[in-house]
Amino acid sequence: MARNKFDIDETLDTPFDLKHLKRAFVYMNRYRKKMIASLVISGVAVVVGLMGPFIAKYAIDTVIPAKNYGMLFILAALLMGIIVVNVKLSQIRSRTMTIIGQDIIYDIRNDVFAHFQRLTFEYYDSRPHGKILVRVVNYINDVADFMSNGIINFVLETLNIVFILIFMFIMDWRMALVIMIGVPILAVVILSIKNNQRRGWQQVSNKNSNLNGYLHEGLEGARVTQMFVREEENDKIFAGLSEASRKTWMKAVFWNNILWPSIDIVAAGIRVLIYLAGLLIIPGVSFGTIIGMAEYAARFWQPLMNIANLYNNFINTIAYLERIFELLDEPVNVKDVEGATELPAITGAVEFKNVTFSYDESSVILENLSFKINPGESIALVGPTGAGKSTIVNLISRFYNLNEGSVLIDGNDIANVTLASLRSQMGIMLQDSFVFSGTVEENIRYGKLDATPEEIRAAARIVCADEFIENFKDGYETVITERGTALSQGQRQLITFARTLVSDPKILILDEATSSIDAKTEKLLQQGLLQVLKGRTSFIIAHRLSTIQNCDKIMYVSNKGITECGTHEELLAKRGDYYKLYNARSA
Amino acid sequence: MFQLKWIWKNLEGNRGIYLIAVICTIIAQSITIISPMIFSRIIDIFVDPEAPTAAESAVLAAAALSEQRQLLYTLCISVLVIQLIRSLTFFSANMMYEKASQSMLYKIRTAIFFNIQRQDMAYYDVNRTGDLMTRLTGDLQTVRHVVAWVGKTLIENIVLFTASTVYFIILDPLMALALLILTPVILIISNVFRKRVGPMYVKLRETFSGLNIRSQENIAGNRVVKAFAREEYEKERFDVANKEYADANKKAALVWLHFFPYIESAASGLSVVHLLVGGLFVMIGRLTFGEYIAYSSLIWTLANPMRFIGNLVNDLQRFMASANKVIEAYYARPMIVDRQDAKTDSAYISGEIDFRNVSFKYSKSNRYALENINLHIKPGMTVAIMGETGSGKTTLINLIARFYDPTEGEVTVDGINVRFHKLRGLRKKIGTAMQDVILWSDTVEGNVAFSDVNMPEEDVYLYARLSDADGFVRKLPEGYETIIGERGVGLSGGQKQRISLARALAVKPSILILDDTTSAVDLETEAIIQDNLNNHLGYKPTKLIIAQRISSAKDADIIIILSHGKITERGTHEELLENPDGYYRQIFELQHGMVAEKSLTAEAGE
Repeated sequence: MARNKFDIDETLDTPFDLKHLKRAFVYMNRYRKKMIASLVISGVAVVVGLMGPFIAKYAIDTVIPAKNYGMLFILAALLMGIIVVNVKLSQIRSRTMTIIGQDIIYDIRNDVFAHFQRLTFEYYDSRPHGKILVRVVNYINDVADFMSNGIINFVLETLNIVFILIFMFIMDWRMALVIMIGVPILAVVILSIKNNQRRGWQQVSNKNSNLNGYLHEGLEGARVTQMFVREEENDKIFAGLSEASRKTWMKAVFWNNILWPSIDIVAAGIRVLIYLAGLLIIPGVSFGTIIGMAEYAARFWQPLMNIANLYNNFINTIAYLERIFELLDEPVNVKDVEGATELPAITGAVEFKNVTFSYDESSVILENLSFKINPGESIALVGPTGAGKSTIVNLISRFYNLNEGSVLIDGNDIANVTLASLRSQMGIMLQDSFVFSGTVEENIRYGKLDATPEEIRAAARIVCADEFIENFKDGYETVITERGTALSQGQRQLITFARTLVSDPKILILDEATSSIDAKTEKLLQQGLLQVLKGRTSFIIAHRLSTIQNCDKIMYVSNKGITECGTHEELLAKRGDYYKLYNARSA
Repeated sequence: MFQLKWIWKNLEGNRGIYLIAVICTIIAQSITIISPMIFSRIIDIFVDPEAPTAAESAVLAAAALSEQRQLLYTLCISVLVIQLIRSLTFFSANMMYEKASQSMLYKIRTAIFFNIQRQDMAYYDVNRTGDLMTRLTGDLQTVRHVVAWVGKTLIENIVLFTASTVYFIILDPLMALALLILTPVILIISNVFRKRVGPMYVKLRETFSGLNIRSQENIAGNRVVKAFAREEYEKERFDVANKEYADANKKAALVWLHFFPYIESAASGLSVVHLLVGGLFVMIGRLTFGEYIAYSSLIWTLANPMRFIGNLVNDLQRFMASANKVIEAYYARPMIVDRQDAKTDSAYISGEIDFRNVSFKYSKSNRYALENINLHIKPGMTVAIMGETGSGKTTLINLIARFYDPTEGEVTVDGINVRFHKLRGLRKKIGTAMQDVILWSDTVEGNVAFSDVNMPEEDVYLYARLSDADGFVRKLPEGYETIIGERGVGLSGGQKQRISLARALAVKPSILILDDTTSAVDLETEAIIQDNLNNHLGYKPTKLIIAQRISSAKDADIIIILSHGKITERGTHEELLENPDGYYRQIFELQHGMVAEKSLTAEAGE
């Protein structure tokens, strides 16, 4: 998967095909009954509406010339009645369709979001987050109208056209054929515009995606921007992206705008043709027929224009649907295998069996790695940056699939158990101490959703966070934000640490959990941790030797595997890499 | 209305085009009625001339057809020509509306981006990314829609309504009055509707922003979600936001549908009025049949604008809800800006820093983060800052580049209060490697050369070498051209830190701030980096180093220890070690003493 940045278009290579529409129909199909009901209601409304002209005709032909005052009042009342019924029917229809439209996008959005939850880190790591965001939120909104009202209107307008055609041919088939001349012309116009239009709107969605990707980064990185006085350069880039968005919009909208006036011209031409043909070419056409056919022609173009307009909508919708379905098609690399079982409550034995792993094809990170950890052991992983320490712990949680070999927990191959049952039994503290917007308490509770306030405070106390939290104006209710500066980095780390502890995991993974914490706090923390670590298997990645010396085993990771393994004393005695590292440190 | 004034202001440069578009709309809309007039002439002359009997009129028509065929052609061609003109005018008008509204969109969008980038840090403590994204995407689109579409349709409807009102009044004032009598009713209904639907759109906009925030944080925190296997929980939370948004949408639509029958009945009711009043007038001889039919064929020109009022109110209320949020971001003003009397950019800063009685308090906090700090740093000096988590280390260095202004006291750089420096000039001389590394989804090279896009490649390599990043960068699939994800994910913590350091060095700063920059770097690498910083930069910047490890701090000219916002110890490594109860001594013993002890046992065990 190619990595993406703000100025790279994520082009769709697949041509449009009907399968997108079919998938869209799956969503609409759930509301089939209501949609059909709406259609019937609309049909009734059309029929009722047709009675209006009859009343008007009757009034002109009979009632008014006869000066029948009483009848005129009755007709007016009748007309009013028809209008009221009609309005009521369209109100019911609109209400139904609005709700269906919203329900459909609600469904799609939930599906897309659910799919996101299954995608691996790689997906998120390889493209700007802002680009992902607009797909979940904005694109889906744009398909709502078409997938509800659009479809119904399409059916209605088609029926409308069919009826008018029938009437026209009954009235005078020769004249009707004259009108039909317009159809191929229109078809040519629409078809020649179509491709340009589709491409145009795809471009727009590409450019907007780029713009939003950059915008998101600009917001997230505002602090860095200010630090490095990059504002003007960023302004330029953003202006460039805005300009690209504007240009593609103008191109796409050009094709939209050209459609209607073109249809108007064709319609006027056909109307002229009707008069000329009726008066000069086709013999024996009555004057009434000419006027009647002109009326029908006028009525014929209206639904055609509406359909053309719907078609516009349809094209835009397709551009977005393609994006949405492309997302839903994004393969989930790490997922439950078929027949995956729940991992039973674990004791915490971990085994790597001939594990080979690489993030991409080019460079192997781990090669044929095997080791075995007993329940309750604490393991420190040391070694040069980028050697694969984080990779090893990531594999235990199955954040990535192995190339070869297997990882076993309590003898169960983790590839065969459900991800949820696996990960919920591990406590993973990541390098990146990410906090959600919300209160401190909510953030800690994320580790255990039903944690009591006491449990939360207990976890905070173990990691020495209780004191500073209580010092906030609102204590545990203090609201923190994702990027906010209300917390120092060390404090963030402590809160995320508490979050991990509160989940009471059997296997605890601490990836640089204390890197931003001062030595004194760390010392206090370790005393608390000794209690916590009892009965849990733990993997600790740290650069500070003080953090790792007390571990049961230290593994030195380098050369695509583990080169040294043993207790602190054993490894020192070996006088190998760990010994060197240790001496560099104590020198 | 302020919002519309603001729009008008931002249409500057495109007002001409917008006005021409309006004129085009008026023209195109006016000639809409010409074609029907021509066809009625064709009918009068060639199809159904006025004559006492049908037979006579047929004879007249046949005569006209053979004698005035030229006129028939002329009329037909003029229909086509007029349609062509009308189509072209409509098309041009539409493109001009688009051009004007897109230019305005461009202008506002870049202006807000410009503005938001320059906000104080405090702004980002309050405003969530997801909400700011909403303002610059959905909200702005709503504003654009008003300019491009609502403005245009409003004018079309006004023209139509005015023209036919005038025409109707000329035909028969009393009849016109009867038809127009419902207009005020519609206006009143619309006004009630406006009041009811306004808050709905505010709510709708809020829930939309909520949806954005939820999604954005889920995406940003995707690792945490996975680490805790919280996918189901996240789905539930998202479902709530999703549902709220869908419900708000439905609610707003249902309010409209509640009023719709009244407005629609009134608009359609015009034909009832026409039938009843018109019919009576014909019966009493006040109107001719022809006039009655003329009314009938033009009644839609009154009815459609009436129907349009409902949409207009809808769109405008939606617009108001969004425009207010956009305008808020447009006019947000940072507190920390250049003073009028700020010193002009100096090309050179020696790097002398002085904190004089500096105290600082975050607005949200009830205690001082820094209290009465006095610290003088000479150019080229290295200062190490240590202290407990939350003791104010990062806050202290944030005051130098003016990310915050002190609550009391002053910070000077080169003897001048930082408030009197130009912000840009000052910050350009400061290179910072932050604790929380934020990189951009760009190439490694782009990230290192962040401060200067035109930086030569050799320089990029140099700074990468100085921060010991060159080695691993070259091993990446595409070396310096490798795109690294947002926040540098895909790289290890230590690798990110080293790229961040290279980025800071690339500024060639007079003041280099390293905020715990090597915490995730292994010790050998740290030693290399320290050596590079001390001996291979080619010049001596003032260095402020926040550190947790003694090894990072011990060679500094001064080491200060912060505790609860106060400097509790200061001095060189040796001096601080002399204080047996001091924090520094304790840390030293914790880190070194323990090591020494252990190594003794290890030696003994051998």
